[in-house]
Amino acid sequence: MSPIAFQTRLARTEVGKGLRLMWRRRSLVVAAAIVYGLTYLGISLFIGGGHLVEDLMVRTLPPMLAVLVASTAAVEGTAGIAEEINGGTLEQTRLSPASPQLQALGRMTALAIEGLAVAIVVGIVFVFGVGLHINPQPAALIPVVLTVLDALGYGLIMTALVVRVASIGAISHVGTMAIMAFGGTLVPITFFPHGMEVFARFIPTSLGVEAINSTLAGHGLGATWADGTLPWLLVHTAVVLTAGFSLYAINMRHAQREGGLRPR
Amino acid sequence: MNTAIALRNEIGKGMRFAWSERLQILIEMPMFAVFVILLGPLLGQGENLASGRVDWSLNSQTTSAMVVWFTPFIFFYMQVVKMFWRLLGEIQAGTLEQVFLSPLPPWLVAAAGRVAAAFLETLFVAAVTYGLVSAFVSIHLYWTPAALLPAFASIIAAVGLSLIIAGATLVYKRIQIVNDGVLMMVMIFSASALPLIHVPGWWADASHAFPLTDGVGSLYNVMIAHRSVTQARGIGGLVPLLTVSTAYLLVGIGTFSVGARVAKNRGTLGRY
Repeated sequence: MSPIAFQTRLARTEVGKGLRLMWRRRSLVVAAAIVYGLTYLGISLFIGGGHLVEDLMVRTLPPMLAVLVASTAAVEGTAGIAEEINGGTLEQTRLSPASPQLQALGRMTALAIEGLAVAIVVGIVFVFGVGLHINPQPAALIPVVLTVLDALGYGLIMTALVVRVASIGAISHVGTMAIMAFGGTLVPITFFPHGMEVFARFIPTSLGVEAINSTLAGHGLGATWADGTLPWLLVHTAVVLTAGFSLYAINMRHAQREGGLRPR
Repeated sequence: MNTAIALRNEIGKGMRFAWSERLQILIEMPMFAVFVILLGPLLGQGENLASGRVDWSLNSQTTSAMVVWFTPFIFFYMQVVKMFWRLLGEIQAGTLEQVFLSPLPPWLVAAAGRVAAAFLETLFVAAVTYGLVSAFVSIHLYWTPAALLPAFASIIAAVGLSLIIAGATLVYKRIQIVNDGVLMMVMIFSASALPLIHVPGWWADASHAFPLTDGVGSLYNVMIAHRSVTQARGIGGLVPLLTVSTAYLLVGIGTFSVGARVAKNRGTLGRY
């Protein structure tokens, strides 16, 4: 078997493992979809003063769906690693010929599928349930893919931190709330005061959501490229993903050296 | 005597855990202030936002109400989220079985180990939130010992909710997303206790079933509206406040005991 085919097989095995684990807790995935849907409904009613403002929801629904993918990646990623450390099985994963990065890729791909599945269901419910006028544009697929990768990079950074400090899992809740606050779920980030808008652009998924909203509004990818959103999104995604994979590999190596792969 | 020693040990253990998580608490600290500052100008502004108008100024009255809303929620967060993660860690490490060697009832071991630490953490985070928010807008609160009653009732309700989630954790293990969602809904529904937005009737009715609503309502009555804490009915009234808090505690104890029994029967207390 060629090295590439071998690595692909290893990655596929990791993804399969992640999906089987997801299937085992499918009732919780359904519960999460319901809870996230109600959360978004609550936020929309807050901002709308007790009623739903459809024109605003058209722009805040994509960020909420991005929060959902990011939250699934971070919360499930950190919980999965903490579970393996506490259960003592993370050590066994190092017996695999797959590198830590490849294993992380497999884990994150499975979490992306889980997050996207929930996001699609929640999105469909709101689009048809509330009657939101969102015109799907094929061009929006590019920022959507980049936003998902950005969210996964963030999830991977949080997961990597847990390898080093197991108790930090609860921080993923803070991260999710920060993405919710500054990523456009409350209000599109272009409405923020200038300083806050600049800060918000560094928050995972916010640039992606801006590009998605712009494309869905019919401005086309050219406009998001020209105003700098798309190039910065590319840079942000690349940096976050690189940081995530590097941090994960470094922390796994450190844990292996210091005996941190087993319960502390 | 033995009970007092065991209880003191659990509280001491909770404090040591809290100290070991001080970095985490520092990171969490500004989150609530940011939410108050950010959400304040946006509440009820949907139509204006849709037409591109937004006024980022903070109103003192609204912000004061939001501080009263968020402070008990900080306690809920500290109690529920951290108890869940700690319990999950013990389940995964297989040390939870040892809890059953204590002379205390298991639910008390789980709750007592967290509640004192959560209280101190909340004092710290709430003080920072108050300081940060008051740097932007003046907060007008009427400080009175009567506020201790809704504060205490909210603590009881939070302990109850944390025990319900802990009981479910003993059976279903990794329920962190549900945990997150439940907290979010507790926060959202408790808003109906404050005159910040006009909520639909179904929302106001449903909010009574959530553990924080009447606590927030009572705190608002006492600390902002200058009403008596003994007012019996309505949101924040003494009757719903005490009924809901006690009910949550009892249901929490029951759920935890059932969850522990199920886990014992399945043999999953010492094996993940």
